[in-house]
Amino acid sequence: MYSGPVIDCDIHHARNSDDELTAYLSKGWREYVTGRGRAGNVPLTVQDGFPNPHGFMRADTYPENGGEPGGDYATMRSQLLDASDVRRAILTFGDDSHAAGHHNPYFAAELARAINDWSIDRWLSQDERLYSSILVGSQLPDDAAAEIRRHRANPRMVQVMLVDNPFNRPFGHPVFHPIYAAAVETGRPVAIHGGAGSWANPPSTGGGSVGTYFETHVLWPQAIQTHLVSFIANGVFEKFPELRLVLIEGGSAWIPSLLWRFDTEYKGLRREVPWLKRLPSEYFAKHVWVTTQPLEAGAKKEDVIAVLRSMGLEDRLVYSSDYPHWDADEIDYLSSRLPAEWHDRIFFENACALYGWDRDAMSPARQGGAAKAT
Amino acid sequence: MIVDVGAVGDFDDRRFRIVTAGGREVGVLRWRDRFYAVHNRCPHQSGPVCLGVVSGKLQGAAPGSMDVDDETPVLACPWHGWEFDLDRGRALWDESYAVKTMPVHVEDGRVLVEMGRAGRAD
Repeated sequence: MYSGPVIDCDIHHARNSDDELTAYLSKGWREYVTGRGRAGNVPLTVQDGFPNPHGFMRADTYPENGGEPGGDYATMRSQLLDASDVRRAILTFGDDSHAAGHHNPYFAAELARAINDWSIDRWLSQDERLYSSILVGSQLPDDAAAEIRRHRANPRMVQVMLVDNPFNRPFGHPVFHPIYAAAVETGRPVAIHGGAGSWANPPSTGGGSVGTYFETHVLWPQAIQTHLVSFIANGVFEKFPELRLVLIEGGSAWIPSLLWRFDTEYKGLRREVPWLKRLPSEYFAKHVWVTTQPLEAGAKKEDVIAVLRSMGLEDRLVYSSDYPHWDADEIDYLSSRLPAEWHDRIFFENACALYGWDRDAMSPARQGGAAKAT
Repeated sequence: MIVDVGAVGDFDDRRFRIVTAGGREVGVLRWRDRFYAVHNRCPHQSGPVCLGVVSGKLQGAAPGSMDVDDETPVLACPWHGWEFDLDRGRALWDESYAVKTMPVHVEDGRVLVEMGRAGRAD
């Protein structure tokens, strides 16, 4: 089993009440949310209507003193951060990550701004190992770019995060490019989290809307595939040669198959996208990283390994736990499914390359404890 | 072996004409004042490549831009659309694939294909 240093690239931190977030809204938006009298608050999150039959959280992650899974630092620290040699952990929000699923674009932008400040104050201040995503209301790309630039000087706000798709246009569409310009300008990767085609906006499944959480969860890679193809076909990586893209929680064993098809189609259809200068798989190999969870579990692990190896994914995969969600992957489990010679890269080194971190600058000792948010 | 495939006036601009030369099916293309001869067989799945569309090379200096280089004729195979730069015979996306081309000369108004020798691709 792997016992070396770990960078965890997908941890869902949560708030325990509306008050935690409304405190960070502007006075006007706070009044808009809280001033409805007996009607209660305007809902701060959107839901996609697919209830998980188990609930979305691991039952053991509910904090002993109450509150939400992922909502209590001490619980997260004992269950996750101190349970292995975690050097850095990237926070990706809970239901609040669906800000771009709100129909109201102005409200979404304000929520994103507020939740980012909440993340800095409530989480980054508690542990030097914690890093946060920058959530954006992608309905207003120029405002989203401004929000990214607002965090320019804070190295703990480590990546831009897209989840819901507000326009029924995949994320390679030029309408989103101001976001990528800001990401490159500020040196941040862009992360797309699985489920990114759904919630209050366009359906996450091609072919029609499905009826169960089971189906929609199986098909989460569909939306990620659409975004990946869109990024490459629209020439996003030609326009932004320094852009790094992270695909979170969309699986990985499908990637070779998609890229084989993508390369084949490019050979015949290049006329439509003459701005591309190389094969789609070459753009992928240079610009894209992929989180591990949920690793597809074939009956024979060697089958999955062979598929991943066929596209060099041992150099593109970065470890993610997905804590505290019901389907989180444990380090011991994951290391048992992957070749030992891949472990250093997938659990640690690939993420250092992705985020531009100096591996030798991360001390090996446990680093928990109070830290100033920068 | 030199094969006379017709008078210059027999060839329409930007159109392949399929002839038999040296026992092979050969497409002969007039591109303004230039002539190209291509073995009518695609290296991909052996399709009749010369029945495909010929155009200037489409290129984009930046995402979303569409420009055409009329100095570089490109042949797209009717089977699967693979494109070949006729000056070099090479596939646009992978130079390890090429159509077989042959030298063409014009003498006294006649178009002559030099069979048995590689064209500009090699």
